[in-house]
Amino acid sequence: MNTTVPGPPETRPESDSDPALVLRKRMSRNLAAIGEHRDEAAFADLYGYYAGRVKSFLMGKGMNEDAAEELMQEIMLTVWRRAESYDPTKAAVSTWLFTIARNRRIDYLRGNSRIEVELDDEMLDLETTEDDPQERYVSNAQSAELLEAAMARLPQEQRQVMHLSYYRGQSHGAIARWLDLPIGTVKSRIRLAMQSVRSYMSDAGALPGSESDEREV
Amino acid sequence: MNISHHLTDETLQDYACGSLDPAMETLIACHLTVCRKCREREAVADAVGGVLLVEQEEVAVSGLATEVLERARLGGVSASAGAKVADRVADRVADRERRLTCSDAPRPLARLLPRNLDDLAWRRVAPGIRQFNLSTRHRHDGAFKLLHLSPGVTLMSHGHADRELTYVVRGSYTDAYGRFNSGDIADLDESSAHRPVVDADEPCIALIATNSPARFRGIFGRIMQPFVGI
Repeated sequence: MNTTVPGPPETRPESDSDPALVLRKRMSRNLAAIGEHRDEAAFADLYGYYAGRVKSFLMGKGMNEDAAEELMQEIMLTVWRRAESYDPTKAAVSTWLFTIARNRRIDYLRGNSRIEVELDDEMLDLETTEDDPQERYVSNAQSAELLEAAMARLPQEQRQVMHLSYYRGQSHGAIARWLDLPIGTVKSRIRLAMQSVRSYMSDAGALPGSESDEREV
Repeated sequence: MNISHHLTDETLQDYACGSLDPAMETLIACHLTVCRKCREREAVADAVGGVLLVEQEEVAVSGLATEVLERARLGGVSASAGAKVADRVADRVADRERRLTCSDAPRPLARLLPRNLDDLAWRRVAPGIRQFNLSTRHRHDGAFKLLHLSPGVTLMSHGHADRELTYVVRGSYTDAYGRFNSGDIADLDESSAHRPVVDADEPCIALIATNSPARFRGIFGRIMQPFVGI
Protein backbone atom coordinates (compact mmCIF):
# COMPACT_ATOMS: atom_id res chain seq x y z
CA MET A 1 0.00 0.00 0.00
CA ASN A 2 1.23 3.42 -0.85
CA THR A 3 1.43 5.47 2.32
CA THR A 4 2.65 8.75 0.87
CA VAL A 5 1.56 11.60 3.08
CA PRO A 6 0.77 14.79 1.17
CA GLY A 7 3.22 17.49 2.16
CA PRO A 8 4.13 20.94 0.96
CA PRO A 9 4.89 21.04 -2.75
CA GLU A 10 8.44 21.26 -3.98
CA THR A 11 9.02 23.88 -6.57
CA ARG A 12 9.32 22.04 -9.82
CA PRO A 13 11.28 23.80 -12.51
CA GLU A 14 9.09 24.56 -15.50
CA SER A 15 10.66 22.49 -18.15
CA ASP A 16 9.54 21.90 -21.68
CA SER A 17 10.63 18.33 -21.28
CA ASP A 18 7.79 17.59 -18.83
CA PRO A 19 5.43 15.70 -21.15
CA ALA A 20 2.31 16.47 -19.08
CA LEU A 21 3.07 20.19 -19.21
CA VAL A 22 3.83 20.12 -22.93
CA LEU A 23 0.57 18.31 -23.55
CA ARG A 24 -1.45 20.75 -21.43
CA LYS A 25 0.00 23.68 -23.35
CA ARG A 26 -0.70 22.02 -26.69
CA MET A 27 -4.35 21.31 -25.79
CA SER A 28 -4.81 24.84 -24.50
CA ARG A 29 -3.41 26.24 -27.78
CA ASN A 30 -5.69 23.91 -29.72
CA LEU A 31 -8.78 25.12 -27.94
CA ALA A 32 -7.76 28.75 -28.39
CA ALA A 33 -7.18 28.15 -32.12
CA ILE A 34 -10.61 26.56 -32.51
CA GLY A 35 -12.24 29.44 -30.69
CA GLU A 36 -10.40 32.09 -32.66
CA HIS A 37 -10.45 30.77 -36.21
CA ARG A 38 -12.18 27.38 -36.33
CA ASP A 39 -8.85 25.65 -36.76
CA GLU A 40 -9.66 22.14 -38.03
CA ALA A 41 -6.17 20.74 -37.49
CA ALA A 42 -6.30 21.93 -33.89
CA PHE A 43 -9.65 20.21 -33.49
CA ALA A 44 -8.27 16.98 -34.95
CA ASP A 45 -5.43 17.04 -32.42
CA LEU A 46 -7.78 17.75 -29.50
CA TYR A 47 -10.15 15.04 -30.73
CA GLY A 48 -7.31 12.56 -31.09
CA TYR A 49 -6.42 13.04 -27.46
CA TYR A 50 -9.83 13.35 -25.80
CA ALA A 51 -12.34 11.38 -27.89
CA GLY A 52 -11.24 7.96 -26.59
CA ARG A 53 -11.12 9.23 -23.02
CA VAL A 54 -14.55 10.84 -23.15
CA LYS A 55 -16.03 7.67 -24.67
CA SER A 56 -14.33 5.61 -21.99
CA PHE A 57 -15.83 7.90 -19.33
CA LEU A 58 -19.33 7.37 -20.77
CA MET A 59 -18.92 3.59 -21.03
CA GLY A 60 -17.51 3.41 -17.50
CA LYS A 61 -20.73 5.07 -16.34
CA GLY A 62 -22.69 2.21 -17.87
CA MET A 63 -23.51 3.40 -21.38
CA ASN A 64 -23.32 0.82 -24.18
CA GLU A 65 -20.71 1.30 -26.88
CA ASP A 66 -22.98 2.65 -29.62
CA ALA A 67 -24.66 5.19 -27.36
CA ALA A 68 -21.28 6.20 -25.92
CA GLU A 69 -19.80 6.72 -29.41
CA GLU A 70 -22.79 8.82 -30.45
CA LEU A 71 -22.79 10.96 -27.31
CA MET A 72 -18.99 11.34 -27.42
CA GLN A 73 -19.33 12.81 -30.94
CA GLU A 74 -22.04 15.18 -29.69
CA ILE A 75 -19.77 16.25 -26.84
CA MET A 76 -16.85 16.90 -29.22
CA LEU A 77 -19.22 18.81 -31.47
CA THR A 78 -20.18 20.95 -28.48
CA VAL A 79 -16.47 21.57 -27.89
CA TRP A 80 -16.10 22.71 -31.52
CA ARG A 81 -19.08 25.03 -31.29
CA ARG A 82 -18.40 26.50 -27.88
CA ALA A 83 -14.62 26.73 -27.93
CA GLU A 84 -14.76 30.53 -27.83
CA SER A 85 -16.50 30.38 -24.46
CA TYR A 86 -13.49 28.61 -22.93
CA ASP A 87 -11.67 30.96 -20.57
CA PRO A 88 -8.13 29.73 -19.86
CA THR A 89 -7.95 31.99 -16.80
CA LYS A 90 -10.85 30.12 -15.19
CA ALA A 91 -10.17 26.43 -15.73
CA ALA A 92 -7.84 23.89 -17.30
CA VAL A 93 -8.85 22.38 -20.68
CA SER A 94 -9.33 19.00 -18.98
CA THR A 95 -11.72 20.54 -16.42
CA TRP A 96 -13.69 22.30 -19.14
CA LEU A 97 -14.00 19.08 -21.12
CA PHE A 98 -14.97 17.09 -18.05
CA THR A 99 -17.80 19.51 -17.21
CA ILE A 100 -19.10 19.49 -20.81
CA ALA A 101 -19.04 15.68 -20.93
CA ARG A 102 -20.72 15.40 -17.54
CA ASN A 103 -23.43 17.94 -18.40
CA ARG A 104 -24.19 16.51 -21.85
CA ARG A 105 -24.49 13.06 -20.32
CA ILE A 106 -27.05 14.42 -17.84
CA ASP A 107 -28.97 16.15 -20.68
CA TYR A 108 -28.98 12.90 -22.61
CA LEU A 109 -30.07 10.69 -19.72
CA ARG A 110 -32.87 12.76 -18.27
CA GLY A 111 -33.79 15.29 -20.91
CA ASN A 112 -33.21 18.32 -18.74
CA SER A 113 -30.08 20.16 -17.76
CA ARG A 114 -28.01 19.91 -14.64
CA ILE A 115 -29.17 22.54 -12.15
CA GLU A 116 -26.32 25.00 -11.62
CA VAL A 117 -25.56 28.39 -10.12
CA GLU A 118 -26.59 31.18 -12.47
CA LEU A 119 -23.83 33.72 -12.56
CA ASP A 120 -26.22 36.65 -13.07
CA ASP A 121 -28.30 35.72 -10.02
CA GLU A 122 -28.66 38.84 -7.90
CA MET A 123 -28.32 36.67 -4.78
CA LEU A 124 -24.86 35.50 -5.90
CA ASP A 125 -22.32 35.89 -3.11
CA LEU A 126 -19.78 38.11 -4.80
CA GLU A 127 -17.33 38.71 -2.00
CA THR A 128 -14.65 37.79 -4.48
CA THR A 129 -14.21 39.93 -7.54
CA GLU A 130 -12.80 38.86 -10.87
CA ASP A 131 -9.30 40.07 -10.11
CA ASP A 132 -9.16 38.66 -6.61
CA PRO A 133 -6.13 36.33 -6.42
CA GLN A 134 -8.23 33.81 -4.49
CA GLU A 135 -10.18 32.95 -7.61
CA ARG A 136 -7.10 32.12 -9.59
CA TYR A 137 -6.50 28.67 -8.16
CA VAL A 138 -7.60 26.66 -11.18
CA SER A 139 -6.82 29.47 -13.52
CA ASN A 140 -3.64 28.49 -15.26
CA ALA A 141 -1.30 25.71 -16.21
CA GLN A 142 0.51 26.02 -12.91
CA SER A 143 -2.60 25.26 -10.88
CA ALA A 144 -3.47 22.34 -13.12
CA GLU A 145 0.03 21.06 -12.51
CA LEU A 146 -0.34 21.56 -8.76
CA LEU A 147 -3.61 19.68 -8.75
CA GLU A 148 -2.05 16.79 -10.65
CA ALA A 149 0.82 16.69 -8.18
CA ALA A 150 -1.64 16.79 -5.26
CA MET A 151 -3.62 13.93 -6.75
CA ALA A 152 -0.46 11.92 -7.40
CA ARG A 153 0.40 12.14 -3.71
CA LEU A 154 -2.86 10.65 -2.50
CA PRO A 155 -2.65 7.20 -0.97
CA GLN A 156 -3.75 4.48 -3.40
CA GLU A 157 -6.87 3.67 -1.35
CA GLN A 158 -8.10 7.27 -1.69
CA ARG A 159 -7.33 7.45 -5.42
CA GLN A 160 -9.25 4.24 -5.95
CA VAL A 161 -12.38 5.60 -4.26
CA MET A 162 -12.12 8.88 -6.20
CA HIS A 163 -11.74 7.03 -9.48
CA LEU A 164 -14.70 4.76 -8.78
CA SER A 165 -17.01 7.63 -7.99
CA TYR A 166 -15.97 9.90 -10.88
CA TYR A 167 -15.45 7.33 -13.59
CA ARG A 168 -17.49 4.29 -12.67
CA GLY A 169 -20.52 6.31 -11.65
CA GLN A 170 -20.92 4.39 -8.46
CA SER A 171 -22.73 5.59 -5.36
CA HIS A 172 -20.81 5.58 -2.11
CA GLY A 173 -22.92 2.61 -1.01
CA ALA A 174 -22.05 0.64 -4.17
CA ILE A 175 -18.35 1.45 -3.76
CA ALA A 176 -18.53 0.27 -0.15
CA ARG A 177 -20.10 -3.05 -1.22
CA TRP A 178 -17.65 -3.45 -4.11
CA LEU A 179 -14.62 -2.90 -1.88
CA ASP A 180 -16.21 -4.70 1.07
CA LEU A 181 -15.79 -1.69 3.33
CA PRO A 182 -18.15 0.16 5.68
CA ILE A 183 -19.76 3.13 3.91
CA GLY A 184 -18.30 5.45 6.56
CA THR A 185 -14.81 4.40 5.47
CA VAL A 186 -15.57 5.21 1.83
CA LYS A 187 -16.89 8.64 2.79
CA SER A 188 -13.96 9.40 5.03
CA ARG A 189 -11.53 8.48 2.22
CA ILE A 190 -13.31 10.92 -0.08
CA ARG A 191 -13.22 13.59 2.60
CA LEU A 192 -9.53 13.01 3.30
CA ALA A 193 -8.69 13.05 -0.40
CA MET A 194 -10.50 16.34 -1.02
CA GLN A 195 -8.97 17.92 2.08
CA SER A 196 -5.45 16.81 1.12
CA VAL A 197 -5.88 18.21 -2.38
CA ARG A 198 -7.17 21.54 -1.07
CA SER A 199 -4.54 21.91 1.61
CA TYR A 200 -1.74 21.00 -0.82
CA MET A 201 -3.00 23.68 -3.17
CA SER A 202 -3.49 26.30 -0.48
CA ASP A 203 0.02 25.64 0.87
CA ALA A 204 1.24 26.44 -2.63
CA GLY A 205 -0.76 29.66 -2.58
CA ALA A 206 -3.20 28.45 -5.21
CA LEU A 207 -6.19 28.36 -2.87
CA PRO A 208 -7.36 30.51 0.02
CA GLY A 209 -6.48 29.13 3.48
CA SER A 210 -7.61 25.63 4.32
CA GLU A 211 -10.39 26.79 6.66
CA SER A 212 -12.60 24.38 4.76
CA ASP A 213 -11.15 21.48 6.69
CA GLU A 214 -13.52 21.99 9.60
CA ARG A 215 -16.28 19.42 9.95
CA GLU A 216 -19.31 20.54 8.00
CA VAL A 217 -22.84 19.49 8.81
CA MET B 1 -25.39 36.54 4.14
CA ASN B 2 -23.52 34.90 6.98
CA ILE B 3 -23.14 31.23 6.16
CA SER B 4 -22.09 28.82 8.88
CA HIS B 5 -23.31 25.42 7.64
CA HIS B 6 -21.86 24.07 4.41
CA LEU B 7 -22.00 21.12 2.03
CA THR B 8 -19.94 18.04 2.87
CA ASP B 9 -17.14 16.91 0.55
CA GLU B 10 -19.07 13.72 -0.24
CA THR B 11 -22.07 15.68 -1.47
CA LEU B 12 -19.97 18.20 -3.43
CA GLN B 13 -18.17 15.31 -5.05
CA ASP B 14 -21.42 13.56 -6.00
CA TYR B 15 -22.56 16.85 -7.51
CA ALA B 16 -19.31 17.21 -9.45
CA CYS B 17 -19.64 13.62 -10.70
CA GLY B 18 -23.15 14.33 -11.98
CA SER B 19 -24.71 11.53 -9.97
CA LEU B 20 -27.50 13.43 -8.20
CA ASP B 21 -31.11 14.05 -9.18
CA PRO B 22 -32.56 17.49 -10.04
CA ALA B 23 -34.02 17.94 -6.53
CA MET B 24 -30.63 17.51 -4.82
CA GLU B 25 -28.97 19.62 -7.53
CA THR B 26 -31.45 22.44 -6.88
CA LEU B 27 -30.63 22.59 -3.18
CA ILE B 28 -26.91 22.46 -3.84
CA ALA B 29 -27.12 25.18 -6.49
CA CYS B 30 -29.12 27.38 -4.05
CA HIS B 31 -26.42 27.09 -1.42
CA LEU B 32 -23.60 27.54 -3.96
CA THR B 33 -25.29 30.75 -5.12
CA VAL B 34 -24.95 32.33 -1.69
CA CYS B 35 -21.71 30.63 -0.56
CA ARG B 36 -18.51 31.53 -2.33
CA LYS B 37 -16.50 29.13 -0.19
CA CYS B 38 -18.49 26.10 -1.36
CA ARG B 39 -18.31 27.36 -4.97
CA GLU B 40 -14.53 27.29 -4.68
CA ARG B 41 -14.60 23.77 -3.23
CA GLU B 42 -16.89 22.68 -6.05
CA ALA B 43 -14.48 24.13 -8.62
CA VAL B 44 -11.73 21.96 -7.13
CA ALA B 45 -14.00 18.91 -7.35
CA ASP B 46 -14.60 19.72 -11.06
CA ALA B 47 -10.86 20.08 -11.64
CA VAL B 48 -10.29 16.69 -10.01
CA GLY B 49 -12.69 15.30 -12.62
CA GLY B 50 -10.50 16.89 -15.30
CA VAL B 51 -7.31 15.34 -13.93
CA LEU B 52 -8.97 11.92 -13.76
CA LEU B 53 -10.28 12.35 -17.33
CA VAL B 54 -6.72 12.79 -18.55
CA GLU B 55 -5.71 9.63 -16.69
CA GLN B 56 -8.67 7.70 -18.08
CA GLU B 57 -7.77 4.68 -20.19
CA GLU B 58 -8.66 5.38 -23.81
CA VAL B 59 -11.07 3.20 -25.76
CA ALA B 60 -11.18 2.98 -29.56
CA VAL B 61 -13.51 5.40 -31.29
CA SER B 62 -15.06 4.75 -34.69
CA GLY B 63 -15.82 8.36 -35.67
CA LEU B 64 -13.04 10.46 -37.17
CA ALA B 65 -12.53 14.10 -36.28
CA THR B 66 -13.30 14.99 -39.92
CA GLU B 67 -16.66 13.21 -39.68
CA VAL B 68 -17.59 15.18 -36.60
CA LEU B 69 -16.65 18.39 -38.41
CA GLU B 70 -18.79 17.26 -41.33
CA ARG B 71 -21.73 16.94 -38.95
CA ALA B 72 -20.98 20.44 -37.68
CA ARG B 73 -21.18 21.75 -41.25
CA LEU B 74 -24.46 19.92 -41.85
CA GLY B 75 -25.80 21.51 -38.69
CA GLY B 76 -26.60 18.16 -37.09
CA VAL B 77 -27.80 19.38 -33.75
CA SER B 78 -27.95 23.10 -34.37
CA ALA B 79 -31.72 23.12 -34.97
CA SER B 80 -32.42 21.70 -31.55
CA ALA B 81 -29.69 23.88 -30.10
CA GLY B 82 -31.45 26.89 -31.62
CA ALA B 83 -34.75 25.85 -30.10
CA LYS B 84 -33.02 25.45 -26.78
CA VAL B 85 -31.64 28.97 -26.99
CA ALA B 86 -35.11 30.32 -27.80
CA ASP B 87 -36.51 28.43 -24.81
CA ARG B 88 -33.83 29.81 -22.62
CA VAL B 89 -34.55 33.38 -23.73
CA ALA B 90 -38.27 32.86 -23.02
CA ASP B 91 -37.34 31.38 -19.66
CA ARG B 92 -35.21 34.39 -18.88
CA VAL B 93 -38.01 36.83 -19.61
CA ALA B 94 -40.55 34.91 -17.53
CA ASP B 95 -37.94 34.48 -14.90
CA ARG B 96 -37.10 38.14 -14.65
CA GLU B 97 -40.68 39.02 -13.80
CA ARG B 98 -40.90 36.23 -11.27
CA ARG B 99 -37.60 37.09 -9.69
CA LEU B 100 -38.83 40.52 -8.66
CA THR B 101 -41.27 38.85 -6.31
CA CYS B 102 -38.98 36.06 -5.13
CA SER B 103 -36.20 38.00 -3.53
CA ASP B 104 -35.43 35.34 -0.90
CA ALA B 105 -35.15 32.51 -3.40
CA PRO B 106 -31.92 31.90 -5.32
CA ARG B 107 -32.61 31.46 -9.04
CA PRO B 108 -32.51 27.62 -9.09
CA LEU B 109 -35.43 27.65 -6.61
CA ALA B 110 -37.17 30.75 -8.01
CA ARG B 111 -37.46 28.99 -11.39
CA LEU B 112 -39.63 26.30 -9.79
CA LEU B 113 -42.06 28.67 -8.07
CA PRO B 114 -45.27 29.87 -9.71
CA ARG B 115 -45.32 32.99 -7.53
CA ASN B 116 -43.95 34.83 -4.53
CA LEU B 117 -43.06 32.71 -1.49
CA ASP B 118 -45.76 34.37 0.61
CA ASP B 119 -48.46 33.84 -1.99
CA LEU B 120 -47.78 30.16 -2.65
CA ALA B 121 -50.70 27.79 -2.29
CA TRP B 122 -49.32 26.34 0.93
CA ARG B 123 -51.07 23.22 2.17
CA ARG B 124 -51.53 22.83 5.90
CA VAL B 125 -50.29 19.44 7.09
CA ALA B 126 -50.17 19.87 10.87
CA PRO B 127 -50.56 22.75 13.33
CA GLY B 128 -47.92 25.34 12.40
CA ILE B 129 -46.65 23.26 9.46
CA ARG B 130 -47.50 24.07 5.87
CA GLN B 131 -45.87 22.70 2.77
CA PHE B 132 -45.57 23.30 -0.94
CA ASN B 133 -44.68 20.24 -2.99
CA LEU B 134 -42.17 20.73 -5.79
CA SER B 135 -42.47 17.20 -7.10
CA THR B 136 -45.20 14.61 -7.19
CA ARG B 137 -42.71 11.97 -8.22
CA HIS B 138 -41.26 11.86 -4.73
CA ARG B 139 -44.42 10.87 -2.89
CA HIS B 140 -43.28 7.45 -1.83
CA ASP B 141 -39.52 7.44 -2.09
CA GLY B 142 -38.51 10.71 -0.51
CA ALA B 143 -39.43 14.36 -0.83
CA PHE B 144 -38.75 17.61 -2.65
CA LYS B 145 -40.74 20.39 -1.06
CA LEU B 146 -40.80 23.69 0.75
CA LEU B 147 -41.83 23.68 4.40
CA HIS B 148 -43.34 26.73 6.09
CA LEU B 149 -42.90 26.36 9.84
CA SER B 150 -44.43 28.74 12.37
CA PRO B 151 -42.43 30.09 15.31
CA GLY B 152 -42.18 27.53 18.10
CA VAL B 153 -42.86 24.52 15.87
CA THR B 154 -40.81 21.41 16.58
CA LEU B 155 -40.49 18.74 13.93
CA MET B 156 -40.48 15.18 15.14
CA SER B 157 -37.10 13.58 15.58
CA HIS B 158 -36.26 11.72 12.40
CA GLY B 159 -33.47 10.24 10.35
CA HIS B 160 -33.19 8.93 6.81
CA ALA B 161 -31.86 5.83 5.09
CA ASP B 162 -29.99 8.15 2.76
CA ARG B 163 -28.98 11.79 2.30
CA GLU B 164 -31.28 14.60 3.43
CA LEU B 165 -30.51 18.15 2.35
CA THR B 166 -32.21 21.19 3.91
CA TYR B 167 -31.65 24.70 2.59
CA VAL B 168 -32.95 27.55 4.76
CA VAL B 169 -34.70 30.05 2.51
CA ARG B 170 -35.97 32.40 5.22
CA GLY B 171 -35.91 32.52 9.01
CA SER B 172 -34.02 29.96 11.07
CA TYR B 173 -34.20 26.74 13.06
CA THR B 174 -32.07 24.98 15.62
CA ASP B 175 -31.27 21.31 16.11
CA ALA B 176 -28.46 19.26 17.63
CA TYR B 177 -26.13 20.44 14.84
CA GLY B 178 -26.58 24.12 15.64
CA ARG B 179 -28.52 27.11 14.41
CA PHE B 180 -29.39 27.22 10.72
CA ASN B 181 -30.02 30.64 9.18
CA SER B 182 -31.06 31.72 5.74
CA GLY B 183 -28.46 30.46 3.22
CA ASP B 184 -27.23 27.62 5.42
CA ILE B 185 -27.51 24.04 4.26
CA ALA B 186 -27.92 20.96 6.46
CA ASP B 187 -26.23 18.04 4.71
CA LEU B 188 -27.23 14.96 6.70
CA ASP B 189 -26.50 11.34 5.90
CA GLU B 190 -27.86 8.01 7.01
CA SER B 191 -26.03 8.20 10.31
CA SER B 192 -27.74 11.41 11.46
CA ALA B 193 -31.08 12.15 13.04
CA HIS B 194 -32.43 15.54 14.02
CA ARG B 195 -35.32 17.36 15.69
CA PRO B 196 -35.50 20.88 14.27
CA VAL B 197 -37.11 23.67 16.35
CA VAL B 198 -38.13 27.03 14.89
CA ASP B 199 -36.36 29.25 17.36
CA ALA B 200 -37.18 32.81 16.28
CA ASP B 201 -40.25 35.05 16.09
CA GLU B 202 -40.58 34.73 12.35
CA PRO B 203 -41.61 31.64 10.39
CA CYS B 204 -38.92 29.45 8.86
CA ILE B 205 -39.16 28.51 5.21
CA ALA B 206 -36.94 25.58 4.30
CA LEU B 207 -36.39 23.65 1.10
CA ILE B 208 -35.82 19.94 1.60
CA ALA B 209 -34.86 17.02 -0.58
CA THR B 210 -34.46 13.37 0.35
CA ASN B 211 -34.31 10.19 -1.63
CA SER B 212 -35.80 8.07 1.09
CA PRO B 213 -38.72 8.47 3.47
CA ALA B 214 -38.02 9.84 6.93
CA ARG B 215 -37.60 7.36 9.73
CA PHE B 216 -39.47 8.89 12.63
CA ARG B 217 -38.67 8.00 16.17
CA GLY B 218 -41.65 7.03 18.29
CA ILE B 219 -45.19 5.94 17.56
CA PHE B 220 -46.66 9.45 17.21
CA GLY B 221 -44.15 10.30 14.54
CA ARG B 222 -44.95 7.16 12.61
CA ILE B 223 -48.67 7.99 12.73
CA MET B 224 -47.99 11.53 11.48
CA GLN B 225 -45.55 10.49 8.74
CA PRO B 226 -48.10 10.02 5.93
CA PHE B 227 -49.28 13.58 6.49
CA VAL B 228 -46.00 15.39 6.81
CA GLY B 229 -44.22 13.11 4.42
CA ILE B 230 -40.64 14.29 4.80
